[in-house]
Amino acid sequence: MIRTLLAIASAFAGALLLVALNFGASNEERADFVFLNGSEPQTIDPGLLTGVPGGRITMSLFEGLARYDERSMEPVPGVAESWTVSPDGRRYEFTIRKDAKWSDGTPVTAHDFTYSWRRVQDPATGAEYAYLMHMVEYAAAFNLYGGQADRLEGEVAEAFRKFVEAHKEGASRDSWQGFVRDHTLADLVGGTPDPTLLGALDPAVGLASAADLVAVGEALSGEAQRRRKLFEWADAHFGVDAGIYAIDDEKLVIQLIAPTPYFLSLVAFYPALPVPRWVVEAPGNARDWFLPEKIVTNGPFDLESWRVNDRIRMVKSETYWGRDEVRLGRIDALPIEHEATALNLYLTGEVEWLTGQYPLDLSEALSQRDDFYAHPGLAVYFYKINTARPPFDDPRVRRAVNLAIDRELITQQVLQLGQLPATHFVPPGMPGYESPVTRLRFDPEEARMLLAEAGFPGGKGMREIGILYNTNESHRKVAEVVADQLRRNLGIEARAYNQEWQSFLTTVKNLDYDISRYGWIGDYEDPNTFLDMWLTGGGNNNTGFGEPVFDRWIAAAGDLESFLARTDMMDEPWQEPDRIRERVAEFEIAQSPEERRSALGKLRMQILREAEAILMGDAIPIVPIYFYVNSGLLAPEVKGFYMETERNGVAGVNLRSLHPFRGVWIDESLARPGLRR
Amino acid sequence: MSGVEFVALLLGLAVVTLPIWMPGRAVRWLGASWMALAVGVTLRATGVLGSSIEVAALASAAVFALAYLSNATALLRRVAFLVPSLVLLIYVTTLLMYKAPGNPFANERSASPQVEAALRAQYGVPENATEFFGIYTRRLVVEGTMGPSIKVAGRNVEDLLFPALPVSLTLGLLALTIASALGLGFGLRAGLAPHSWSDHGSMALALVGISLPNFVLGAGLIVVFALQFGWFPVAGWGTVAHLWLPALTLALPYAAYIARLVRAGTIEAMQQDFVRTARAKGLPESEVVLRHAFRAAVAPAVAYLGPAAAGIMTGSFVVEVLFGIPGMGQWFVKGAINRDYSVVLGTATIYFTLITLLNFGVDIAQAWLDPRVRSVDRDGDLV
Repeated sequence: MIRTLLAIASAFAGALLLVALNFGASNEERADFVFLNGSEPQTIDPGLLTGVPGGRITMSLFEGLARYDERSMEPVPGVAESWTVSPDGRRYEFTIRKDAKWSDGTPVTAHDFTYSWRRVQDPATGAEYAYLMHMVEYAAAFNLYGGQADRLEGEVAEAFRKFVEAHKEGASRDSWQGFVRDHTLADLVGGTPDPTLLGALDPAVGLASAADLVAVGEALSGEAQRRRKLFEWADAHFGVDAGIYAIDDEKLVIQLIAPTPYFLSLVAFYPALPVPRWVVEAPGNARDWFLPEKIVTNGPFDLESWRVNDRIRMVKSETYWGRDEVRLGRIDALPIEHEATALNLYLTGEVEWLTGQYPLDLSEALSQRDDFYAHPGLAVYFYKINTARPPFDDPRVRRAVNLAIDRELITQQVLQLGQLPATHFVPPGMPGYESPVTRLRFDPEEARMLLAEAGFPGGKGMREIGILYNTNESHRKVAEVVADQLRRNLGIEARAYNQEWQSFLTTVKNLDYDISRYGWIGDYEDPNTFLDMWLTGGGNNNTGFGEPVFDRWIAAAGDLESFLARTDMMDEPWQEPDRIRERVAEFEIAQSPEERRSALGKLRMQILREAEAILMGDAIPIVPIYFYVNSGLLAPEVKGFYMETERNGVAGVNLRSLHPFRGVWIDESLARPGLRR
Repeated sequence: MSGVEFVALLLGLAVVTLPIWMPGRAVRWLGASWMALAVGVTLRATGVLGSSIEVAALASAAVFALAYLSNATALLRRVAFLVPSLVLLIYVTTLLMYKAPGNPFANERSASPQVEAALRAQYGVPENATEFFGIYTRRLVVEGTMGPSIKVAGRNVEDLLFPALPVSLTLGLLALTIASALGLGFGLRAGLAPHSWSDHGSMALALVGISLPNFVLGAGLIVVFALQFGWFPVAGWGTVAHLWLPALTLALPYAAYIARLVRAGTIEAMQQDFVRTARAKGLPESEVVLRHAFRAAVAPAVAYLGPAAAGIMTGSFVVEVLFGIPGMGQWFVKGAINRDYSVVLGTATIYFTLITLLNFGVDIAQAWLDPRVRSVDRDGDLV
């Protein structure tokens, strides 16, 4: 008996001892500023980073040539103390400041940037955001052409051989375009000068004769060789003496393919941040050089510790050139994912900043609080329509769906945070850009007429339609409303159904859906980040949408010089030809380089506006629903944290919700009573 | 399923079931080999004794010799069954993961084929399941690592799971302790006075405890004890204060179940002949209960402790998320959601080992509590 009781008691005591041991040395001091980071960052390697949680950490640890000013959100001098732009807007020369240092004391030099930028474009790095910097000369050739040549010579050549065998006498439009789609050919040979290929990629054509097949086969292998050569050249020169190169330790030159108005804003962004070569390339560091025990940084904060699923702690850097302006000593980032837990932590004063993580049902109550904020964001919520599958291959049905949905009902009754109903695709507030006026509105009458024209009067004869969303409570609510409205306003049997995230992505990618929810967050403040995803065969298109005019205009916006050199540019089917003409004339009479640049910028915006009008026009492949708001709770004692921006006296919105911690400080006197410390 | 996969599965099943019919000597040899392999790999992966391959090989050889000479055939028969089962489990899990839609590199923004190919090469995740299994086992045996996690860059799976394991064990042990203590107390009390008000009261409470899902229970505890009274922090990890609410949330349903088991066990034990004998001897009631009835009364609950421990370990996901605790349960679920293949295999391996060990422990405890369970197998060893 004694034995039994003793055994039980000692087991219990052992358990409690283990508990005590676990907590022996883990009483840490609270950080000055604690925030909820949404989830555990996948990485904080600037070159490989794409996610927002990682971005908040990385942008505090590293500083690019430029950085975002916390008040205006404009790029201001960072590691570069100044820069000059050539009259044609294509050549940037940066001067690195002398007091810029890495956290191990090494000076930051121009060579750090040539190395880092080359690393991002190196195909072996596998950087998803490499494409953001493809406006730099030879960057795309170095990044993509080698792999594309491999695929053209390997799997595509093989598949094409089989295709020719199966279609000896020529291929129909459908079977050839199927081939183009299956092998993402438009993407693989994008930018080719070869007229045979360009002709064959036109979605309206097939390959009528055996001779056509032979010609395309030859063109494909020719294109592969062309790409291989360009890649080899870029491999030898990019980052050395072409694209981006150092004149000396302090002077850095970046040469662009075409003037790019948002280039400086990207210079402050993740893929443009410098990384310490001697740490990244040290033996055994390739995959984990950014862990606290190894990392060397050049930004306002250093990485002190990173306990996965617990917290990331940053401390003020003592080597950062602007250290006198940094006021926070310690910052903690918590990777809490549960919404109620996140809110509880904020309400009990454990954290000072919460972004969008609260139970949806509480949004109305929370929005009454003084410390609640909500402002427009750079993101759009929409549905993709599978244009390759009946009945949605008929554009009239797609337009009918667009007209049958009451977006205001969704934003005002379901979401309730001041989200704007979307009747175009590019979110409002983009500097210098105004979306076209579209025909999108809530008009069930006309929707029914269009549907009847398409052969489904009152929805009769149409099969049941699936509305797919990834498993999430708020997506479910919106999908149910959309399904209900299609049922009510069009008589279509619509059913909302969900899939877990990875299955969802696969289904969408395989075009195995009717209508599918999606969201898109802008990478930079330019309409291009919302429009170029709709290029024919683009990796994020996934709707089967492809309009040669649209593709042409997006390409034109990326390379205005070649566009202006065309004599037939006014023959394009512009919707607002007068505006185009006006902008071109403005450019032609411009005297100073600044005037020319500004005129070019306006022309570019007009072309993008025309492109958006095509996207939202007759062939519309999507249903825009609403523009997101950034919302959250911020403790009143946190200062230097701006939801509204101010640029040259003009008020704006912090669209990307970027909040550089460099200028943040705490005013203890404003702390919530009884909550801090 | 491809032909290779099918053949591999059949082969795996054959190896797993073989030891059941093998003669004693062969079992000793096979079991000792598997045990040596398991010990070697564990040493390498955990980095105990440094992680050089020579030390691990030496330790393996020693384990082999000891095991082979020890004559513990029954134990080795188990090992010869369990270790290949683990290998088979890894293989089947790999197949299932590859069958699931998506892959670890799929993202909201689809990466170009070039980017995906570069990432696949970097992380050693080919497009074929059997090939991946080959890479994984090679890493485990030769390099002594569970491979890099894909969704938490820069970390190997062991870097993620080994710090999380003590967190889960701490939480689990405390929860199990609370569950046992509460369950024993309420169960004994109820069982000693069946159909009294205290019996009905305890059992009604137990029913509530079993029926309440833990996210409701946890939220309730947070509202009352953290938000209302402010006695405990709402979430997080780092001090003893952080421990109580999640442990209690995790423990209560099991406490309720144990209470019901102990109650039934007590009622049955109190009607046994040996209890009547003890009473007839004139022993005081406390002596009767504690000395004679107790062991029989708790036997069913002890048998349940193994599954309960496994359930607490694997079922802690909701509690970990609710309380923001960096434990194992999160990896169990997130690994699967993210298709982070190596993390999935790592959690599967650790849980397999843990549950096997727990069941083993429970078997021994049962043998010790109940003489009838003890038996002798044909090779003369204690089972």
